[in-house]
Amino acid sequence: MTQPTHSSSTGSSNTHAAVSARVPLWRDVVVLKWVTQVALLAVVLGTMWFLASQAGDNLRARNINTDFDFIERPVDIQLGEGIDTHPDTGGRALWTGMVNTLRLSIAGIAVATVLGVIVGLARLSDNWLVSRLASTWVEVLRNVPLLVQMIFYFSVLTTLPRVGLDTGPINGWLHISNKGISMPRVFIADGFYQWLVVVLIGAVAARFVHRRRTRIHDETGANTSPMLWAIGTVALFGLVGLFVHPAFSWLGGVFGAVAELLDSLPVIVPQVVLAAAAIGLAARWILRFLAAHRSARGHLALTDDDWFRVIFTAAASLAIVFLVVRWTGLSSWILNSGRDLFHVIEAKFDVDGAARPFDAMRPDIVQKGKFPNYGVNGLTLSLGFAAVFFGVVFYTSAFIGENVRGGILAVPKGQTEAALAVGLTRGQVIRRVVLPQAFRIILPPTGNQYLNLTKNTSLAIAVGYSEIVQVGTTVFNQTGRTLPVVAIWMLFYLSCSLTISVIVNWFNVRMQLVER
Amino acid sequence: MNDAASNPETSSPAAAAAASGQTRDLSGARDMIVCEDVSKWYGDFQALDKVSATIKEQEVVVVLGPSGSGKSTWIRCINRLEVHQEGRIVVDDVELTNDMRNIEKVRSEVGMVFQQFNLFPHLTIRDNVTLAPIWVRKKPRAEAEEQAMALLERVGIPEQADKYPGQLSGGQQQRVAIARALAMEPRIMLFDEPTSALDPEMIKEVLDVMKTLAHSGMTMMVVTHEMGFAKEVADRLIFMEDGQIVEQNTPDLFFSNPTEERTKLFLSQIL
Amino acid sequence: MSELSSTTGNLEVPYTPPPVTPKLPPREWIRANLFSSPFNSTLTVVSGLVILGILRGLLSFLFNPIRQWDATATNLRLLMTQAYPEEQYIRVWVSTAVILILSGLSLAVWRAGSAVPLSKVGRNLVATGATMALLTLLAPFSASATVQWLIASAVVAAGGEGIRRFSAIRSGSVGSAGSVGSGGSSGDDGRTVTTLTLLGVALTGLVVSLWVVPYGHHSFILDRTPRVMAEPGTVAMTTKLPWTVMLVILVAAYFLGRSLRDRLPTNATRATLLVSWLLAPPVLLYLVLRDPSFDMGHVLGTDLPIFGAYAVGGAVLLSWLTRPTTGEVGRIVAALVLIVGFCLFLQPMRMIVRIDMLMLACFALAAPTFAGGQRARRRYVVGWLGVLGVSSWLITAINTPSTVDVPGDFFMGGLSLTLLVAIFTLVVSFPLGILLALARTSTMPIFRLLATWFIEFVRGVPLITILIFFSIMVPLFLPRGMHLSELAAVVVGYSLFSAAYLAENVRGGLQSITRGQHEAAEAVGMTTGQKTVFIVLPQALRAAIPPLVGQCIGVFKETSLLAIIGLFDVLYIARAVMPNQTEFMGSTRENVLFVSLIYWIFAYQMSKASQRIEKRTGLGER
Ligand SMILES: Nc1ncnc2c1ncn2[C@@H]1O[C@H](COP(=O)(O)OP(=O)(O)O)[C@@H](O)[C@H]1O
Ligand SMILES: [Mg+2]
Repeated sequence: MTQPTHSSSTGSSNTHAAVSARVPLWRDVVVLKWVTQVALLAVVLGTMWFLASQAGDNLRARNINTDFDFIERPVDIQLGEGIDTHPDTGGRALWTGMVNTLRLSIAGIAVATVLGVIVGLARLSDNWLVSRLASTWVEVLRNVPLLVQMIFYFSVLTTLPRVGLDTGPINGWLHISNKGISMPRVFIADGFYQWLVVVLIGAVAARFVHRRRTRIHDETGANTSPMLWAIGTVALFGLVGLFVHPAFSWLGGVFGAVAELLDSLPVIVPQVVLAAAAIGLAARWILRFLAAHRSARGHLALTDDDWFRVIFTAAASLAIVFLVVRWTGLSSWILNSGRDLFHVIEAKFDVDGAARPFDAMRPDIVQKGKFPNYGVNGLTLSLGFAAVFFGVVFYTSAFIGENVRGGILAVPKGQTEAALAVGLTRGQVIRRVVLPQAFRIILPPTGNQYLNLTKNTSLAIAVGYSEIVQVGTTVFNQTGRTLPVVAIWMLFYLSCSLTISVIVNWFNVRMQLVER
Repeated sequence: MNDAASNPETSSPAAAAAASGQTRDLSGARDMIVCEDVSKWYGDFQALDKVSATIKEQEVVVVLGPSGSGKSTWIRCINRLEVHQEGRIVVDDVELTNDMRNIEKVRSEVGMVFQQFNLFPHLTIRDNVTLAPIWVRKKPRAEAEEQAMALLERVGIPEQADKYPGQLSGGQQQRVAIARALAMEPRIMLFDEPTSALDPEMIKEVLDVMKTLAHSGMTMMVVTHEMGFAKEVADRLIFMEDGQIVEQNTPDLFFSNPTEERTKLFLSQIL
Repeated sequence: MSELSSTTGNLEVPYTPPPVTPKLPPREWIRANLFSSPFNSTLTVVSGLVILGILRGLLSFLFNPIRQWDATATNLRLLMTQAYPEEQYIRVWVSTAVILILSGLSLAVWRAGSAVPLSKVGRNLVATGATMALLTLLAPFSASATVQWLIASAVVAAGGEGIRRFSAIRSGSVGSAGSVGSGGSSGDDGRTVTTLTLLGVALTGLVVSLWVVPYGHHSFILDRTPRVMAEPGTVAMTTKLPWTVMLVILVAAYFLGRSLRDRLPTNATRATLLVSWLLAPPVLLYLVLRDPSFDMGHVLGTDLPIFGAYAVGGAVLLSWLTRPTTGEVGRIVAALVLIVGFCLFLQPMRMIVRIDMLMLACFALAAPTFAGGQRARRRYVVGWLGVLGVSSWLITAINTPSTVDVPGDFFMGGLSLTLLVAIFTLVVSFPLGILLALARTSTMPIFRLLATWFIEFVRGVPLITILIFFSIMVPLFLPRGMHLSELAAVVVGYSLFSAAYLAENVRGGLQSITRGQHEAAEAVGMTTGQKTVFIVLPQALRAAIPPLVGQCIGVFKETSLLAIIGLFDVLYIARAVMPNQTEFMGSTRENVLFVSLIYWIFAYQMSKASQRIEKRTGLGER
């Protein structure tokens, strides 16, 4: 298993090398190890190639097209709800579905967390009735499939009364009917992005304030509550921003300039940048790796696994370079979408000075044709949305509740006792000792639940809420492009999963630092 | 323990001499373990630095040294639990290379006893001892069980055969571990701090088993901090520091007359 | 409550775990657990109101006269087995009987069940009676129904109290039995019953109620104009008679198991039972339920010769490979067999030949691990013959047309399909998951990389996208001449999905194994295969039991997704078939509620069982 590399030539290695040479290949453990792996890799790649070629033949034989051109082609789809209920292209339809999925997931995660924490704490309550209620909640919801729950909620909701012009319970504020739930809506208005700039500046300022208050606390020991100060700073900027945000409308010009710049760049620029980045990163990694394996006397001893890593990194970077150079479409796509993005941002700043950052509206009921329906003013949760939302929130809250309970119970009793013994108050014990430790235990499984929730929103297809899977099914039924749509689904969900994992991991690492 | 003590297989004259406390003359015996310039690195850290030593048949060698000096690394290289990167290790005329056949041969000829016992917790004591003979040595089960009982008797705990390791005391577990290693009928036994994880009252029972084993003529390499054992049983002491062999000598000379400064320092701390 | 509000405790700390409550007399118990502080009292009142509200709502939903519960009653058979033909229904009962026999034997052989103090049973019955009375009062019943239910609750409660007193008397504490105050603590070390007895009593009660309680006789008459029949009285003979027989079979199997348990060697019996459990699903499905009409000419002319060739060739090869003296040449030969297997697989020819070749290659690769003396070698060869025989016969059965005449592409539906998919998914995904976990923790970087990518990819996408992909796209990826039914493709999708999750659970178990265990196994000369089989996996799987059971529950619940891709599982029937019957228009809510109850019972029992196993192994380890 050794591949000694001699930076200093030594005599003794000769005998060693001579002996090693006599090992027959089929008995050499290192050779066997790598032959097995390469063989497996070959089998996997071979199988994939075989399946792909079969699929290619079959697709051609049946005249099935697997282009992605439907993204830009007009389609005739009507969606139940979303940013665009009559999308003009397949891509736009899928985009609407994605936004719906994201809306559902984010709202679900927020509410499920709150509910889950309540359920978990309730299960630990000293009050018998409360803890019984919570454990019944958990045991019932956890053990019934989510899909069954969703369909049940949906079928209950469909039996709500028809919507009429005076549908209650509080006409003009809250309407519940078989068209869904409609309530007042607070929404982002034209001035929002300028206001956001102010808040971002506030966040930077808050960082300084936080650091400063922490330093004062460290030096004097006075209770300076840095977190409160930081939040206060952001709030202050937010408040002030409500009045001064038009001052930042000039930023639109900056973004426009960036967009123009991107537009004028030749395709070679992103190619060079990407290739250089790939090679540079790989080279830096390899050099650091080698440095970490070079002993104080300059001897470099690498095992076969170490060699694999170096070679793999180098090969991967070369593959990226090859891809970037051969596939010019990628680079022009990057340039184009960058330009479009900055143009969109520029447009967001192109508002008249008096625009408010936020606005609110009360729900309304309109009667255009024969039947009354909800107007566009209110925040309307369609039945499908409500069914899926309640489904994922209740279901996930049961699991999060169990995580919370388990995490708190996992903090050893000795910790509480020790903290009380050194004279902390009960509140301090909970805030400074129990919660930080419990949080570290709760976070990873709860992150998993967030992932599950996001993926579970795909069950909305069963109740007809237009999230990405449902929209995708409609699209491929209409265009026949099943394979591309499935690929888009998977890419979308993989990126969601990756994003959530990254966020959860970031918190995780921070918590680990807190521990030390 | 009585069984084990009353059953010393004093088969060879050399072992008889050792049992009577004299220094043995092993110059005519063949080389069991030969290490030539063995070096090993963990990343950029050198754990073994040109270690060279030869251990004769029936010789008992005790390896001493401060923590982190590379004792375990060396002893584990000898049955290929760790892979040395430079130099040669030859065990019973088989060189340890990447050759699978050589590794298998050496592993089945070298028994090893760990500091943490490492018994298999999901198997009974009997199965712990018979597993390797049945599946590695390909012995029939009946024969393997017979031998296991004999070995358990030899280490003094035949009545525990049907218990699980978790139900035994530390000293008993370590004796089972010795029996498990002996069941492979090894020609060499390696011990890596076999008594360090034991309570004082259990140390003796394990050391007694090791002594009988040494007196029966087994080639042994022992990492230990038990100076009494070293003085009484060892033919030779090897002192290591920073991955190097600093000094080796017979017990008498080593303790009475250490040549190296570092050895003196170590002895002054430990004695 | 006013006098209680004076007990001002310090700040409520809901975070600290509740201490183990000593048994208190009722009044003090209520004070301690419900009204210990003003905050607590408020909580009690609020949650009490919430509970009453929920119960009231639920009951008025359930017992509303417009509810169509006869939809469920009439369609029970549809929900269980879809359209399995009436004339052949005996096959379903035989399969159920086989499962019950195996269950009874296993319960006895694994010594399931634990002792419960009789007094506790009594207390629980009293509580049940009280709850029933409360529910009766909340429910929108007519006066006479209310009275009837109240009498029933009183009977239950009185029975419970009777049992409690009886056990208290029998345990000798006659004096304290009368005092209500300390009644809770008196009978604890009294007589006990096992949970199995309780289960038996409950099941017997249920079956007896089939004969006496007028549940009504509902059925679907499939005429030219299908119509619903609803008659008063007890359920049909075709229901109550088989179930009575089933109960008798279960009890008989249990007692048979008890007598066998003491006569036969434990390990051999358990191993036999495990193998039977493993074989039961395919055998029942493909031999009993599907009833293939074997074409004897084809069997004798093609299937048997192929089997014979593989049996003889494989036996010779394997007995040579397992000889301890064979050495590395054996590995090379095994690798060659594998390569031949793969090349064969890509060639168009009889499926059975290709599959057998791959199985032989697996056995050949594993041979050095199990090499040994005469007996070990014989056992290995017999194992090969057994696996080959079972799989050849199964493949033949699968490829033979069925005599069961059912519309649609699969002959079962409803709950049976749900269970079937769950079982097959687990059977396929377990080995796959273990392999993936081993690969992910292996020392070989490429194995690790491939396994990690696969696992993370599958865990990153929702199951439904995988199922849609497999149900629509699989035919496109198959070589011409190879067919896979939609159901089989979907099961493959399920298995891959569940394998990725199982792999993560197994990996947790693998990581709990210390380095010392690996080293000890290597130091006595075991090969990597032997180390994995004898040392690592047994410990890792044991450590991973709780999450693995959780995953089994997950797989079971996920079978409901079959409804989305349009297979006739129990949910699909409840949601899309029954509400469209003219008699039961819009009965979705009732049906779905019933389906949730079915799922809940299964999943809840599994999670309870897992908790019991956890406790048991936890006690056994230390
Ligand atoms: N797997 C490993 N990875 C990195 N360093 C190691 C590893 N094993 C041992 N070492 C280092 O090698 C040195 C020698 O270790 P060891 O042989 O266990 O010492 P001893 O047994 O004499 O106490 C120590 O400094 C230890 O930190
Ligand atoms: Mg050590």
